[in-house]
Amino acid sequence: MLQAIADGILSGSIIALGAIGLTLTMGILRFANFAHAELVTWGAYMALGVLALTGAFMGPLEPFSFGVPLIMATLVAMVLTAALALAIDWLVYRPLRGRANHLTLVFGSFGVSLLVRMIILLIFGGGAQYYSNTLQIAIPVAPGLRILPDQVFTLGLTAVIVVALHLFLQKTRLGLAMRALAENPELARVNGIDTKVVVRWTWIIGASLAAISGVLYGLTVQLRPEIGFHLLLPLFAAAILGGVGNVFGAVIGGLIVGLAESLSVLVIPAGYKLAVPFMILLLVLYIRPTGIFAGTVGGAK
Amino acid sequence: MKTLLTSCFIGAGVLLAASSGASAQDCKISVGSVLSITGSMAAIGSAIGDAGKLAVDHFNAAGGVAGCQVNYILRDDQGSPNVGVDAAKTLVEIEKVPILLGAIQSGVSLPILTSVTVPAKVTQISCCSSAPSFTALAEEGGTGGYWFRTLPTDRPQAGVLATIAAERGYKKVAIIHVNSDYGVSLAARFRDDVQKLGAEVTDMVAYNQEQASYRAEVNAALQGEPDALFLVAFPADGATVAREWISFGGSRNLILSNALRADEFVESVGAQYLTEAYGIDNAQVEGESVEAFNASWKETKGSDPNGPGLHTMYDAAAVALLAMEQAGKPDGTAIRDNVRKVTGGEGEPVYPGVEGFKKAKALIAEGKPIRYVGATGPITFDANGDVTGPYLIYGVKDGELATLDRWDKARVGAALEKLQ
Repeated sequence: MLQAIADGILSGSIIALGAIGLTLTMGILRFANFAHAELVTWGAYMALGVLALTGAFMGPLEPFSFGVPLIMATLVAMVLTAALALAIDWLVYRPLRGRANHLTLVFGSFGVSLLVRMIILLIFGGGAQYYSNTLQIAIPVAPGLRILPDQVFTLGLTAVIVVALHLFLQKTRLGLAMRALAENPELARVNGIDTKVVVRWTWIIGASLAAISGVLYGLTVQLRPEIGFHLLLPLFAAAILGGVGNVFGAVIGGLIVGLAESLSVLVIPAGYKLAVPFMILLLVLYIRPTGIFAGTVGGAK
Repeated sequence: MKTLLTSCFIGAGVLLAASSGASAQDCKISVGSVLSITGSMAAIGSAIGDAGKLAVDHFNAAGGVAGCQVNYILRDDQGSPNVGVDAAKTLVEIEKVPILLGAIQSGVSLPILTSVTVPAKVTQISCCSSAPSFTALAEEGGTGGYWFRTLPTDRPQAGVLATIAAERGYKKVAIIHVNSDYGVSLAARFRDDVQKLGAEVTDMVAYNQEQASYRAEVNAALQGEPDALFLVAFPADGATVAREWISFGGSRNLILSNALRADEFVESVGAQYLTEAYGIDNAQVEGESVEAFNASWKETKGSDPNGPGLHTMYDAAAVALLAMEQAGKPDGTAIRDNVRKVTGGEGEPVYPGVEGFKKAKALIAEGKPIRYVGATGPITFDANGDVTGPYLIYGVKDGELATLDRWDKARVGAALEKLQ
């Protein structure tokens, strides 16, 4: 039970990071970007690629399984993922924006997600890979509860990022502009907000968070070309649960999805675990289509 | 050209032997065979048919069976149960065969067995059907003892693994297995066997393939604090499970299924964590009798017998014909009752080939016991008509897969006997 809660919070925090990016792009760009989950995969594999190129020039930082090389690789991966997101926007979404209807954009994002996954498959192959082949041994912290140091790191990093992002949205001019655009695009434009700049930064932030989410996933689980595909549903469930455009909502949504997945195994066979986000999504859409926190807690809105 | 000439000579030799025998014996006994010459198994079916034909030819060259020449009738099942049952019906009702060899696929063999051979009291020996359902059917008495197969099933693997687990002193074992027919049946067998040997099975957890994380499954299996884990998996998913298992404090006493004997698995998990692990796999059969078959196949076909089902098909035909010779008449029930008299036991060993069958016929005529040691080595059928094979025990040494031990058929048989 304790272990299931701990695992749920962990996978929830990884989902949360990805869902933040998704909720921002959905709220500000106003379309469901199915390719967002592939940015998670891309980020994870870019870090692996950088790691392979530079090699492990320093040992791991005890007690974690990784060292400075992975942190550097993650930063590079964030830049590369942001670059990919901007390239996709420039090549695919920008020409469609305003001219075609929303569905066209959604279908476009489907195509992009397939393309990205296949490129990763082509370069890195289909097998499971790891940042480090040495196994980390979990530390027993309580009876029936074991935690990996990497998991503690993941939780801590997620908390820091969420607070930082909150401050950014509340205190900076760009953050204010992003919130304004999410709230009312017409009004924001009339008030002289440069939507192009805001859209660009939305992509950069969303993609960077996706990359971090991917690296953390690779660190605590494993790297596979299907990471994004498997995360797609949990991400959407979390974003919609929290209310589209709501950063804190996405975090809470991610934790709820992660916990529900993990705890469900205590009741139903593990094979049906993947259906849990689906059930949550259906329930939310049925009972409260605007999300649990819509209009109550101030996030991006 | 050379092969063609050789085969002509051999053909001529067989004809000569047949005609010289025919002067004394004009009767014919038909032996039926239903195999997939076309359809999904076509790639291997026709060579398997040839292996059966080779055994019949050897027997005819040695003077036939029960005083008659053997007529080998091969029918195609096209890989379909309907066609297979029709073919078997024709063979049994019109050709009056006392023996039916085949089929290849379990899905074809099973309906033939239940709807044709058992009601007609015809002995059926398959070269290639390995499904555990036949064993279950035999245990319930559904085969009437008319069913035999010369291909080892997965059954003994669980018994051997459980025996070793008991020897190593494991008291509480958890099982994580792939959610398939193979995984479920192997895991259930192992559970029953290891419980008979006094160990406790704390949990049996099924997993679905191709997932990134099996933490939930691993957690469930860790609940009973087992001192060993039996992992039935394929290499990629197996590595994911094993990593998470070890990472979350699971015992390094791992018991591995045959499919995990792969470098990919050892590499992904890390050899340093697998030093306590052991697993089982089929061992290549070796020995004089195997060589005898290989040589005679090469002589007739001009190539090595590299293909599934060739050795087991030859043995299926040879066992059937020897049993008929022992019975002295072409009767399905009599053949069934004599199969175990010409295999296993303490009799004089006889090998594949014309000389071997001549020796067998002479010994039977003298009333002396024989023991057929075939193309797959010594053969012993258990009460369900299943055979056991030799196995190897593998582990990881110096960062690589290594063979820790070998279990020959006798040792496997003894271990299984204790579990009965």
